[in-house]
Amino acid sequence: MGAKKNDILQGTLALLILKSLASQKKLHGYAITVHIERVSDQLLRVEEGSLYPALHRMEQEGWVRAEWGTTEKNREARFYSLTPLGRKQLAREEDNWARLTEGVSRVIRYGLA
Amino acid sequence: MAWLERCWNVLRPRRLQSDLERELRFHMRERADDLVADGMNDAEAAARARRQFGNYTSQMEWTRDMDINGWLEALLRHLRLAVRGLRKTPAFTATVVATLALGIGANSAVFSAIDAVLLRPLPFPGGDQLMKLTQIDPHASNSFVAPARLEDWNRLAGAFQGISGSYQQDESELSGELPEKLNRALVAPRFLRVLGVAPELGRDFTPQEEKFGGPDAVLISDRLWRRRFGASPNALGKSLRLGRTSVPIIGVMPASFHYPDRDVDLWSVSAPDALYAQDRTSTWFTVIGRLKPGVTVAQGRANLATVQANLGRQFPKSDSKLLTAVEPLKEVTVGGVRKSLIILFASVTLLLLIACINIAALLLSRAAARHHEIAVRFSLGASRASVVGHLLSEVLLLALAGAALGLVVASGASAVFRSLAKDLPRIEEMGLDWRIVLYSLACAVAVTLLCGLVPALRGARQDLAGSLAQAGRSQVGGRNRVQFVLVGAQVALAVTLLAGAGLLLRSFQELSRVSPGFHPERVLSFHVSMSWGETADQKAAKQRAQSMLEALRAVPGVESAAVAMALPGVPTEYQVELKSSEGRAGSEPKMMAQGRVVSPEYFATVGIPLLAGTLCRDEGAAQMMVNRSFADAYMPGTSAVGRHLTQPFDAYLKPALVSGIVGDAREMGMDQAPGPVVYWCWPTAQPGQFFLVRTHGNPRLMAATIRRKMHEIAPARSVYDLTPLTEHISDAYAENRLRTILLVFFAATAVLLACVGLYGTLSFMVNVRQREVGLRLALGAVRGQIVRQFLAQGLVVSLAGCAAGLALSAASGRLLAGMLYGVSATDGITLAGVVATITAVSGLASLVPAVRAARLEPMQVLRDE
Repeated sequence: MGAKKNDILQGTLALLILKSLASQKKLHGYAITVHIERVSDQLLRVEEGSLYPALHRMEQEGWVRAEWGTTEKNREARFYSLTPLGRKQLAREEDNWARLTEGVSRVIRYGLA
Repeated sequence: MAWLERCWNVLRPRRLQSDLERELRFHMRERADDLVADGMNDAEAAARARRQFGNYTSQMEWTRDMDINGWLEALLRHLRLAVRGLRKTPAFTATVVATLALGIGANSAVFSAIDAVLLRPLPFPGGDQLMKLTQIDPHASNSFVAPARLEDWNRLAGAFQGISGSYQQDESELSGELPEKLNRALVAPRFLRVLGVAPELGRDFTPQEEKFGGPDAVLISDRLWRRRFGASPNALGKSLRLGRTSVPIIGVMPASFHYPDRDVDLWSVSAPDALYAQDRTSTWFTVIGRLKPGVTVAQGRANLATVQANLGRQFPKSDSKLLTAVEPLKEVTVGGVRKSLIILFASVTLLLLIACINIAALLLSRAAARHHEIAVRFSLGASRASVVGHLLSEVLLLALAGAALGLVVASGASAVFRSLAKDLPRIEEMGLDWRIVLYSLACAVAVTLLCGLVPALRGARQDLAGSLAQAGRSQVGGRNRVQFVLVGAQVALAVTLLAGAGLLLRSFQELSRVSPGFHPERVLSFHVSMSWGETADQKAAKQRAQSMLEALRAVPGVESAAVAMALPGVPTEYQVELKSSEGRAGSEPKMMAQGRVVSPEYFATVGIPLLAGTLCRDEGAAQMMVNRSFADAYMPGTSAVGRHLTQPFDAYLKPALVSGIVGDAREMGMDQAPGPVVYWCWPTAQPGQFFLVRTHGNPRLMAATIRRKMHEIAPARSVYDLTPLTEHISDAYAENRLRTILLVFFAATAVLLACVGLYGTLSFMVNVRQREVGLRLALGAVRGQIVRQFLAQGLVVSLAGCAAGLALSAASGRLLAGMLYGVSATDGITLAGVVATITAVSGLASLVPAVRAARLEPMQVLRDE
């Protein structure tokens, strides 16, 4: 496991997944991993061990919908998409994230001043 | 529907597993493909992908945990355990389930009566908008409304969608072999529209039929339709022969339609534009109205009062003194029985509470007996919540089984209740439906919490883990205090119920001991059909009645015969104000009395003695009798005889001569002390008047003879409701009797349950303390002392319970006020009797375990330990 790659902060995985689905409409689990890693320029790495439990939990919460489909390579995969409820949750989590980073950066700036 | 899906997932875990496997496997293959694309060889890529994925099996499990709801699984596990546990103790399970079934069943049955009678709206669409409208004449006691006024109200009262009304009379239907008595409701126009009901078959009256002189038409009841026409649709268009006219049937009403009451067989129109209906002082309609949507009762009331005030200015002579009242029809129908039903419900709920307490005590003992098991569970790492959950799920299971069985009990009990309370209004609407099922389920949940929570929390106390060390060693601790408090509470509730039942029973006894002032035995009463139309020719009608009476007197076995408008001893209210033509000092009190209209033979027939003066003669309202109370109150001594009395506000009545004074009889009902009564000796012939016949022997045996005789002289009339007077009187107190019987039954059950509770708890105590008792006996304790000790313990608990129960029943005595006769709610004899009964029975219940304790063989016990 590359030490340079950041493990995802607890609780932000849902935000990342929701955001990925919001920009791509329909993705399977592996594509979500790839998407997050690519868009973050390999800065973030998604643990498979957290991804699937998170996806299934989000499905139970009603934030995402899952259905079986086939990939371009004609393989069977489970595709996830965002529900209206998930869209609302995304807005909420983005908000939370903004507040968290704002708070953290203020604390850091205070220390520097 | 995440929730549904989770439940679904619980039911098909295998399917879910394979889906999950496919998904995770796909992920690894994609990863491997990408690695190959980056230049890795196949085998290495697969290994790398798998390694990166981590522990495959635990991944599967973690993910699956997100799908299957953990606690749902825990619940199932608890229930499975509970079933297993309960199966191991069948006696305990059966006792608890049977107790609960009885408790919940009786409760649901009474609730179904309350639901049908009090809670549900009347069985008409928008039944809550239906009102009863009355006119109040300060000088007359009837509240019927003149047809012309009804039409005015309907036209002018804007708060109402429509106003209509009805009155009833008995008819002879002559198309069969013998005349059949049918009850006909004569209705004002708009009747069915106001009620919002349509005929099941056929049609409503047309506007032509609602006018005077229009075509005749009649609607028939479902009951008559089934009885006479075998429920054939061909009944429409057939005719009924009522008196001299043949009336075509235009429709059949639904089976659930029982308005004005459940005895109605026919509905036909009483046209408001008939000539005889124009007099604003002759009143006959019972009036109903439907409020417009959104209009409150208060608004309707104000609206009708305004309308009537305007009518008062328009018709000062007839209308200016009249007031109006508007009451919800439902309140008018069922208001009278609310208190009885609430008392029944309260007592049956007390019973359920006692049953709960009993079960709680049983569960406590069970939990105590399971110390060891629970301690093991704790030491193996069970959480407190899971132990409580386990114990509670056991109770839930018991309660659910009890509720299910209780529904069976309830259906039986409500059938019994219906047959016992057949006179209760709306009782025909009572039945078991989903509301009752829901109610029983709610009972089960309440029961679970009530009787399960305390034992479960106590049973699951962590410190019990310590008892693992002293497995099975008996300890006598404060734990038993809770059990005794529970038993005491049970006794208290049983005392409350028993006190209520005792008071009702005592009043019933007092009532039957009352001397009524007349002799109801050997008197037969009946009706002869007659219509209101016939009252127009009073002379002919009276002659007919006279000849009937003479014919009756000629029948062998008949001592005397009379007619009366009301039956003595059966509550009937007809209050009149009287004025003496000879004048009285203005300072003397207003003369108020109950008025009765009888034929002169009435006094001999029902056995009211003549005290002074002579018996009146039937001379066209010219003579009357007064009773002793009247004379004592207003005209002391015999000064009443020879005076003339009149009703000050009745222009039609001439003053009548008081020809004599008779003894006081309980005319108003057996539970009412006699007050002033006046008897007018001029029976107007009227529908619904009673024929009374005093017989030599059993009046019931004369019924057939009398029926035959009446048919001989009046073949076109039906004779019905041939019933001994004593039966009428006891029917008048049927509600009272039902209440008493049920309360006595509940109280007996409560006492039984309380004794079982006491017995069970003491037996348990004896078991727990076996070792101690054995030791004491071995050290030389006297057996009598042991008996005394346990007996005293039982008696102290039950006496404390008695004290609490007496306080409780004093507090709830208000509920019984008005239902008691001849005893006060704090009657010493009754309460002493209750305490004595409870003490005796609980003494017996504690004696058995006490003696068993004293009979223990010390060596045996000590060896066993």
